[in-house]
Amino acid sequence: MRRPRRVRLVRWALLGVLGVAAWRLLRGSAPPVPEPAAPPAAPPRRGRSAPPGRHRPTRVRPAAVGIVALAMLVVGVAVALGVRHDGASASRLLDGADVPAPIASRLGVGAPMGLGAASIWAPVRHTTQVRARPRIGAPIIARLGALTPEGTPNLVAVTEAVVAGDGGGVWVHIRLAGRTGRALGWVPRETLGGYTAVETRVVVDLTLRTLTLMRRGRVVFQAPVGVGTRAAPTPTGEFYIRNKLTRYRSAFYGPLAFGTSARSPALTDWPAGGFVGIHGTDRPDLIPGAISHGCIRLRNDDLLRLARLLPVGTPVTIR
Amino acid sequence: MRLDDGGPGLSRAQALRRGSAALGVVCVGGVCITGLATRAVSAGSRAGDERILNFALVLEHLQAAFYAEAAGSTAFDADVLTFARTAAAHEKEHVALLTRLLGAKAEEAPAFDFGDTTSDQAAFLRVATALEDLGVDAYNGQAANLGRAALAQTSRIVSVDARHAAWIRSLAGEVPAPEAVDAGRTAKAVMADIARTGFVQGQG
Amino acid sequence: MEPTHEPGDVMAAAMVPPIVGRLDPSGAIAEAAGRARSLSRRALLAGALAGGIGLVVVPAGTSAKGSKAGDVAVLNFALTLEYLQAAFYSEAERRKALSADNARAARLIGAVERTHVAALKGLLGSDAVARPFFDFQGTTENDADFVKTAVGFEDFSAAAYQGALVHLGQAELIAGAASIHTVEARHGAWLRFLQGVVPAARALDEPIDAGAAMRLVDSTGFVRERPRTEAHTSPAFAG
Repeated sequence: MRRPRRVRLVRWALLGVLGVAAWRLLRGSAPPVPEPAAPPAAPPRRGRSAPPGRHRPTRVRPAAVGIVALAMLVVGVAVALGVRHDGASASRLLDGADVPAPIASRLGVGAPMGLGAASIWAPVRHTTQVRARPRIGAPIIARLGALTPEGTPNLVAVTEAVVAGDGGGVWVHIRLAGRTGRALGWVPRETLGGYTAVETRVVVDLTLRTLTLMRRGRVVFQAPVGVGTRAAPTPTGEFYIRNKLTRYRSAFYGPLAFGTSARSPALTDWPAGGFVGIHGTDRPDLIPGAISHGCIRLRNDDLLRLARLLPVGTPVTIR
Repeated sequence: MRLDDGGPGLSRAQALRRGSAALGVVCVGGVCITGLATRAVSAGSRAGDERILNFALVLEHLQAAFYAEAAGSTAFDADVLTFARTAAAHEKEHVALLTRLLGAKAEEAPAFDFGDTTSDQAAFLRVATALEDLGVDAYNGQAANLGRAALAQTSRIVSVDARHAAWIRSLAGEVPAPEAVDAGRTAKAVMADIARTGFVQGQG
Repeated sequence: MEPTHEPGDVMAAAMVPPIVGRLDPSGAIAEAAGRARSLSRRALLAGALAGGIGLVVVPAGTSAKGSKAGDVAVLNFALTLEYLQAAFYSEAERRKALSADNARAARLIGAVERTHVAALKGLLGSDAVARPFFDFQGTTENDADFVKTAVGFEDFSAAAYQGALVHLGQAELIAGAASIHTVEARHGAWLRFLQGVVPAARALDEPIDAGAAMRLVDSTGFVRERPRTEAHTSPAFAG
């Protein structure tokens, strides 16, 4: 390592500087006054005259003092250096002396973090047959497309059931899009992509005409909604948010819209399948009310607030 | 400074004053220069690495001797015996590596007395767990004090000691990795714990 | 004694093109990997010369002291591995498909890996790489695959931390990385014990460099594009 050598050089330089400083201190800031040309008679002295024969004050030569001081400096440093010997003695080793103190970690690692409850969704990788039971040859109950009508990857909610397959791999139990929210079936794991866990949940109450968003079990959003009429009701059951549409122009649908897996039971031949969306409106005065063909409508400012809190894949309970 | 023309040189009083001032400068300077000598080793210096590796070597000698003795026990379950034998072989290699790194600077192993902790299974499990956990904390306390090359070597050792710790804890029914991090401890604290065991003859 | 598994041979076999670039938009990880590769061949093969500590001096120019940017790169590399592990164990815990001992390991180890993620993200602040999207393809949902994959993750994560240690500049970061390295090694031994193989197969563990670690991650096929959930078409809902 380079640093010790540099430190040693600095230390020797400091030593030299201190030695010079000590030397100058001892010499004093002014040079000794030169003896005036001695007159024949002794020059007058300040203070008391020394009676003849008395012992004169001791004079110490600056050079001598300087040499002694430097010698003490050298001896002191040598002793201090000598104390630090290479290779600890056995007793110092067994004390753990001479080993430097640890440097504290800067990594602030807190207490272990548990997981909260969450719902899982997954994208569909390719068109897939959904089976009634977790094995090849079980009855096919639905066909799962790879895309939503809007062209985004189709999503499914993944329930907790998992079954090991015969030839390795696992089967997973998924919730399908539909009119009842009770359509469940089995697909091989490899037909789905990676899982995403969401901690949010939406509850739409058709009687109270409210939409409530909860995160980790706590209410974080609530707003009045317009829901389907009796003729074209909003279906009840368990559904989920499938996609989010933005940057289109439509006063009717408002600034953005969420697609859900819920299908209107009444609109059986709607062009795009008659899926229920959560969207805005150009008639906020009608909200709350039973006003739509099944969609869940919010006033636009409520919708914009919701959009910041609602991730795609969130389960939606409509009751 | 009052000029005193009482002759060449300084009066005793003056010499004493100036001498004290100079001595003060010298003492302070000497201390600063040597930097409180016993801890004056820079991180990553050869001398610093030597001290740390010798500290590690004592711990590895201890573990090696402990497991070597335990490997001969007749009272352990098969899987505990397997652990003791494997760990004995590993610690022997750890001792060899550190000794090779230190060369002539390697300190001698002290004498050990493990009592019945190498023959009684319950005691063995307890002590092995403590020694392995202690070793990991000792190494981790020094990781940032070592030079890079020395750290590259000690990390090969501590990684295996950490595995031993998890292994013996699993055998004892303890959580193998109870903490999110293995924070380091001071050498003094580690050696104090060792001293409490009484294993090292001539310690404490 | 059961044969041991090397980190590389336990991963799923899906062949996907490397997407380290997508994991690493700022190039931080690639930079660390590049630096690590040049260092590892020389400095990490140190032996001692007789008569003293004659260890290999870290070559100049490989930034052994580490600039702040270098430390950020190394920490982001560590964070990526922690993201991977945390996501794996979190999913395993949520899927509830494992037997008791494995489920317990997933819960306890996952809790620790999540704190590692939080700590590294906290340290890196706005310099932290984003969390990638993972598709674990069933390895979190059955015992055999879970244990094999987890052993692989922990072993190579410990080896990666071991390799990263000597590249960090700040002493406090070295202390932090060391304190995590040994925990990952413990996890590896723990899972091997559950698997029924020897928890410590060798007397000395070897590091792997960041490049090798990221190639391993790529080879699993677990890192994927995040599914697209937003579109700009006009709604055609029921209304």
